[in-house]
Amino acid sequence: MNKKLRRRTIIVVYIFLVFVLNSCSTPEERGRLPGDTATDASSTTSAHKVYSIEIKDMKFDPGEITVHKGDTVVWVNHDMVTHCVTEENTKAWTSSNIAAGNSWKMVVQSGADYFCAIHQVMKGKILVE
Amino acid sequence: MKQMKVINAVMVFAMMVFASAYAQVTPKLTDPEIASVAVVANQIDVNYAAIAKAKSKNADVLKFAQTMSDDHTAVIKQAVALVTKLGVTPKDNALSQKLMSGAEKTKKQLSAKSGKAFDKAYIDNEVSYHKTVISTVEKVLIPQSQNAELKKLLQDVVPTLKAHLDHAEMVQKEFAGK
Ligand SMILES: [Cu+2]
Repeated sequence: MNKKLRRRTIIVVYIFLVFVLNSCSTPEERGRLPGDTATDASSTTSAHKVYSIEIKDMKFDPGEITVHKGDTVVWVNHDMVTHCVTEENTKAWTSSNIAAGNSWKMVVQSGADYFCAIHQVMKGKILVE
Repeated sequence: MKQMKVINAVMVFAMMVFASAYAQVTPKLTDPEIASVAVVANQIDVNYAAIAKAKSKNADVLKFAQTMSDDHTAVIKQAVALVTKLGVTPKDNALSQKLMSGAEKTKKQLSAKSGKAFDKAYIDNEVSYHKTVISTVEKVLIPQSQNAELKKLLQDVVPTLKAHLDHAEMVQKEFAGK
């Protein structure tokens, strides 16, 4: 491969990656918690981070995540079946159904053990530091 | 020397017997036949769920049955979408028929029961049925499927089936010793 062609390939790959990463970082919003009124504009200007949890092959990946209060967690359902994300001990909050291919996000206020109420063997944990 | 020949002959004969026995328990299926088995196997569990939804009053059983109905319907939808895309028409075969005749028997047994006895029988059957289907998918359907997308779909279904089995075993514990 000559130098010019190689350079062009790198540029094309770079543009492609930027495009893909951008499309992944703006997941469709499926629902909101009752008390969750923080706007996206304020959370992007603050130091709060956004974390993604993949729901794939009937598992939450990562199964355990450590965040700061005010950070956003996004669950993305890659499976062909509907899942949900529900606080396990008191059902304090729930995403309701997250259909195949959809996602749901929440601003974390406190740590929680959560599970999929549809498939009760699927469990996850949020730790707040 | 003569003894050696006899041993050889016995060995060859034994191998032939094993080979034919193996061929009998592991049917050879084409992709259209695999597609049929996949759809039938999922439909059977949707049907079991319908019986449970009509007969059970146990919240955990009803919830589990709803999940089975929703998930197996979703898998059928994916399978139908794929075979439609591939231009494959599911083809009836001995394994599909075996699954269906087994399901007919089970349906009769379930219909004859009620109350807690029904709940227990339904969940016990869900545990054993998911074990059977997981083994069929892993040992027969996946290894024998020729089309890569069909193979991939079957592989993707396995974790769902295994989560269903774990879930069924969890509910089953409620009825243990009752
Ligand atoms: Cu789930």
